[in-house]
Amino acid sequence: MRRRSLLTGAAATAAAAGSTTLLSGCGSSDASGVPTLDFLSLAWQEESVAANKALVAQWNTAHPEVQVRYVQGSWDDVHDQLLTSFEGGAAPDIIHDEGNDLTDFGSGGYLADLTGLLPAAVRGRIPSAAWDMGRFGGGLYGVPFLQEPRVLIANRGLLGEAGIDLPDAEQPWTWAQFEDIAKELSRSGGKDERYGVAWPMSSPVSVTLNLSLTTGGRILYRKDDGGTEVRLEQADSAFAEMVRRQVGTDRSAPASALGMSGGDTLPGFFAGRYAMLPLNLSYRQQVQQQAPARFDWVTLPLPVGAGAPDGGRAQGVSPQTLSVSKDCRHQAQAAAFIGFMTQTDHLVELARGDWMAPTGTDALRDPSLTTGKLGWSTGMSVAAHLVASPALGRRGYPEWSDKVATPALQQYFSGAIGLDSLRKKLVRDGNRVFDRYRS
Amino acid sequence: MSAAAATAEPRPGAGTPPPRTTAARRRMLGLDRDAWFLLLPALIPVLVLSVGPLLYGISLAFTDAQSGVTRSTSFTGLTNFADLRLDSLFWDSFRIGLIWAVCVTALQLLLALGLALLLDQNLRFRWLARTLALVPWAMPEVVVGIMWRLVYNPDAGVLNNTLRHLHLTSGHTDWLSSLSLALPAVIVVGVWAGMPQTTVVLLAGLQNVPLELHEAAGIDGAGAWRRFTTVTWPTLKPVVLSITALNFIWNFNSFGLVFVLTSGGPGGKTRLPTLFAYEEAFRYGQFGYAAAMGLVMVAVIAVLLTVFLRNRLKEADQ
Amino acid sequence: MSAAVPASQQAAPQPVPRPQPRPARRGLRRRAGRTGQYAALLCYLVFLAFPLLWLVSTAFKSPRELGSVDPTWLPRHPTLGNFRTALDEQPLLHAALNSLLVAGAAALISVAVAVPAAYAMVRFRGAVSRAGTGWILVSQMFPLVLVIIPLFMVLKNLHLIDSRPGLVVVYVVWTLPFVLWMLQSYVKAVPVSLEEAAAIDGCGRLRTLRSVVLPLLAPGLVATLMFAFVTAWNEFFFALVLLKTPEKQTMSVILTHFTGAEGAADLGPLAAASLLATIPSLAFFALLQKRLVGGMLSGAVKG
Repeated sequence: MRRRSLLTGAAATAAAAGSTTLLSGCGSSDASGVPTLDFLSLAWQEESVAANKALVAQWNTAHPEVQVRYVQGSWDDVHDQLLTSFEGGAAPDIIHDEGNDLTDFGSGGYLADLTGLLPAAVRGRIPSAAWDMGRFGGGLYGVPFLQEPRVLIANRGLLGEAGIDLPDAEQPWTWAQFEDIAKELSRSGGKDERYGVAWPMSSPVSVTLNLSLTTGGRILYRKDDGGTEVRLEQADSAFAEMVRRQVGTDRSAPASALGMSGGDTLPGFFAGRYAMLPLNLSYRQQVQQQAPARFDWVTLPLPVGAGAPDGGRAQGVSPQTLSVSKDCRHQAQAAAFIGFMTQTDHLVELARGDWMAPTGTDALRDPSLTTGKLGWSTGMSVAAHLVASPALGRRGYPEWSDKVATPALQQYFSGAIGLDSLRKKLVRDGNRVFDRYRS
Repeated sequence: MSAAAATAEPRPGAGTPPPRTTAARRRMLGLDRDAWFLLLPALIPVLVLSVGPLLYGISLAFTDAQSGVTRSTSFTGLTNFADLRLDSLFWDSFRIGLIWAVCVTALQLLLALGLALLLDQNLRFRWLARTLALVPWAMPEVVVGIMWRLVYNPDAGVLNNTLRHLHLTSGHTDWLSSLSLALPAVIVVGVWAGMPQTTVVLLAGLQNVPLELHEAAGIDGAGAWRRFTTVTWPTLKPVVLSITALNFIWNFNSFGLVFVLTSGGPGGKTRLPTLFAYEEAFRYGQFGYAAAMGLVMVAVIAVLLTVFLRNRLKEADQ
Repeated sequence: MSAAVPASQQAAPQPVPRPQPRPARRGLRRRAGRTGQYAALLCYLVFLAFPLLWLVSTAFKSPRELGSVDPTWLPRHPTLGNFRTALDEQPLLHAALNSLLVAGAAALISVAVAVPAAYAMVRFRGAVSRAGTGWILVSQMFPLVLVIIPLFMVLKNLHLIDSRPGLVVVYVVWTLPFVLWMLQSYVKAVPVSLEEAAAIDGCGRLRTLRSVVLPLLAPGLVATLMFAFVTAWNEFFFALVLLKTPEKQTMSVILTHFTGAEGAADLGPLAAASLLATIPSLAFFALLQKRLVGGMLSGAVKG
C-alpha cells in the first residue's frame, strides 16, 4: 500500500470527513484571485530580517499579479515544521533552508526540481561550485544564496605582544604553523591561564567534515552506485588529530570548550582566556556587538593544509538555500521570486544583513563587501574557495552524524578513545548506517 | 485511589465506596444515562483528535513507513521490534532515560512536598512566596534552556563564578560537556523545571486534610512528624500517587529541555529514549521504527507503573 | 478560612490538663521552628527564582555587558534598548494577546468538560472509566511526535489548520488527559456521604454536582486550571506547525525567532521578550494562588 493512501485513509476515517481530498493548501488565492505565495524565511538577525522584509515589499509593489507573504521561521525547528507540513500537504511555497536539509526533502519528493524553472540569468550569476551544493540525484532542489566559511577571529593585542605576524588571505598559515603559534600563545596555570585557541565542538561532525577538506580528506565518499562510503585515512583524520593534540598534548586548547557552541566561547575570548577562535564568518557580528570597548580583534583566514587541492583553501560548506515546494501551484512565479532575491545587488544586501558571504560571483566582488573593515575582505576571499560539504547529498548523514559520529568524535577529542577506536566506530558502524539508505 | 486501581487491577474496596449492590452498580455502569451524559463532552473531541491519531501512530509500528511521498509503505509485522531488540544504542539510551526519570521524579516529589508543606503554613509574605515558587512554570521552555546554558557556562556562568568567589572550586568546571557531570547537571534542571506543577498539586491536595484531625492530634501532643504520618499523609496519598505516576511518565517522555542543553551529548550520555525516537522519526524519517520504539516505551512504563502503584496499594490496605 | 489552617508547629497549647513544658521554653522552640521554616523557604525561593532575576538582569544589559566574563547581577549600565529592539522586531504584544486568548479558552473549556467526566469516572466505575483511564495513561506515554502528523491531517480535513479555534481544540484535547487524571484524585477526596445526603434531600445528579461537589473541588479546580493554562501558554510545537499566518502566532513561537542556528541567540532582546512573556503568567499566579486554598472547604468537610 502506498504510504500516502494509508495516511489519507487513517486521517479520513478518524475525521469522518472522507469526502475531503488532500489537495495542497499551498499557493492560496485571496478574494481578488491574485495568488499569494508564502515565503518561509529563517533570517533572524535584526538587519537581515529588515533586508528580507524590504525585498518582499519591493517585489509586491513591482508584481501586483503575484503577491508574496513573509512568514518568519526559526533555524531551531525549521526541519520539524517543514516535515510536518510536507507530510500533511500544507507546506509554504518558497522555503529558506540549508543544504543538508535539502538532501532529505529533495529525495523525499517534497521539493520541486528547479532545473527547468530558473531563468538563465540566475544560473549565470552563481558559479558551478555553488550549484553543486543544491544538486543531487539528478535534480536541483535549492538555489544556494548565502554561505559562510570558517575564519580565525583573533585577539590582535595578544598576538602582537607575542610578536606574531598576521597572515593575509593570500598567504594563510599552514595548520602546522597554527599549532606552533597556538602553543606559543598558551600559558598554563594560575589566574592568567590562557589558551592559544578554543574549539567549540558542540556539534563536532560538520566542522570535522568540512575542514578535513583542507587537508585533502573528506571522510564521506560517494560510491559509484550513489551510496556513501566512510573512510578515515591519514588525510581524512589529520584535522581531528590536530584538535586532539591541541587539547590533550599541547594544552593549547581547553577541554571545557569542546562542549560549547560558538557563542559560548565569546566571553572567554573577550577576557583574554582564548587568543583565537575558529568561527563561522557571521560570528563577527556578535563579536563586534559584544566586545568590550577598545578590544582589538581581527579576522584571519583559516589555516590551510599542505599538499591538499586548491592549496588547502577549499573548505566544505552547507549553504543557505531557497527552494520551491513541490505542492506549490505557482512554481514558475515562485522560481521568479527566487530569481529576484538572488539578483546581485539583493544578494549583497542579504549577505550584509547576515554578515555572511553571497554565492554570486559578482556579488562576492561588490565593493561594500570587500572593505577592509571588520574582516569583510578576508571573509570574501576565503569564501571564493568554498566547495560543497562532503555531507551534502549523502542520504543517511543525519543518522550517521547523531548516532555514530557525534559521540565518537566527542569521545575522541576529550581523550576517552584513541584514533583506531575512532576509525572503527566511524567507518564500521558508519557504513552499516549508510548501507541502510542505499535503496 | 481508583485512578491507581485502573492501571493495576481493579481491587475491591480500593477508593471511595462503590455502589452497594451489584445490580445498582451494573445499572450505573453502562445503562445509567447520567454517566454518558457527563462523559460525552469530553468523549467526542478525544475520540476524533486523540484516539484516532494515537491508534494510527501505534499502527505505524508494524509497518516500514518512512517519510517522503515517493516511498511506499507495507505491513511488516514484528520486523521493527526484532530490529529494535538488537539496537544496543537504543537500550543504552533507555537506561539513561530510566535513570533520568526516576531521579527527577523522586527529587521532584521530595522537594515539592517540603515546599508545599511550607507554603501551607501561615507564614508572612506567603502570597509572594507562592508566586515566586511558580517561576519555573511561568518561564517559556526556550528561555529556560538558554538561561540554564548561561548558568552552566564554564567561563561566564553564574554557577562557576559563584563557586570561584566562594573558593569552593577553581571555577572552570565544564558542567555540560564532562562525561560524568552532564547527566546530573541536566537532572537538576529537570527537577527545577518540574517542581511548580508538583507543588501546586500537592498544595491543593493538602487542603483536603481534615482540620479537626490535625487539631486533635495536636492536642494529643503528637509531634510534627507523627502528625504528618498519621493525619496528613493518608489524605494526601491519592494525590501523591497520581502526580508521581504522571510526573514519571512526563519525565520519561520529556526531552526538549535536555535537547536545548546538551543535544544528547557529550558522547551520548544524555541521549534520552524519547529524543532517540524523535530523531528517528523527524530527522531520519523512519516513522515505523520510531513508532515501534514508542510502543516499547509505553509497554515498559506501563509495567513499571503497575508495579509501583500495586505496592503502594498493598501498603494502603494494611 | 485559609488563615485558620493550623501550622504544624503552631498547634497552639490548649488548656488541657496535662503537664506542659514551661511556656517560655515552648515559645522559644516555636520561634526557632519558625526561623527554620523561613530559612528553608528562602532556600527554595533562591533555587526556584534566581533564573528570573538573571533574566531581569540580562534584559537590561547592553550586548557589550552580556559578553563579559564576569557577569554581575546588577547591570552596570542599565538600558532599555533590548525592549525597544524586541518590540520593534517582533509583534510581541499581539502574540501575547493571541497566547492569552488561546490558552485561556483552552484551559476553561478543558476544565469545564473534564469536571463532569472526572466525576462520572470516579463515581460510576466500570468499563467506561477503565477505558478512560487506560487512554489517559497511554496518551501521555506515547511519544507526542509520532502523533503530530496524523493529527495534522485530521485537522486539515476539518479545516482547522491555521486557525486559533483549531489550536484551542487541540489544546483542550491535549490537556484533557492530565486534567481528568488530576480532577479524579480530587473528586475522590470528596466524601460520598455528602452526596448521599444531598440525594436524600432530593437533589438531582446535576444539582448535587453543582452545589455539593463543585465547591469542595475549588482548590483542585484552581490548581488544574493553572496547570492547563500554563501548559497551553508554553506549548510550542502545535502552535508552530498549525499556525501559518504571522498575525495569529503565539508567544512561544515568536520567542524562537530570537534564536539562530547552532544555539546562537540574540540574548538581550530574547531576555526582554521573555520577561514580557513571563510577567503575565506570574501576575495570573499571584491572583490565583489565594484560591488555591479553598475558602469553602472547611465547613463542608467537617460533616
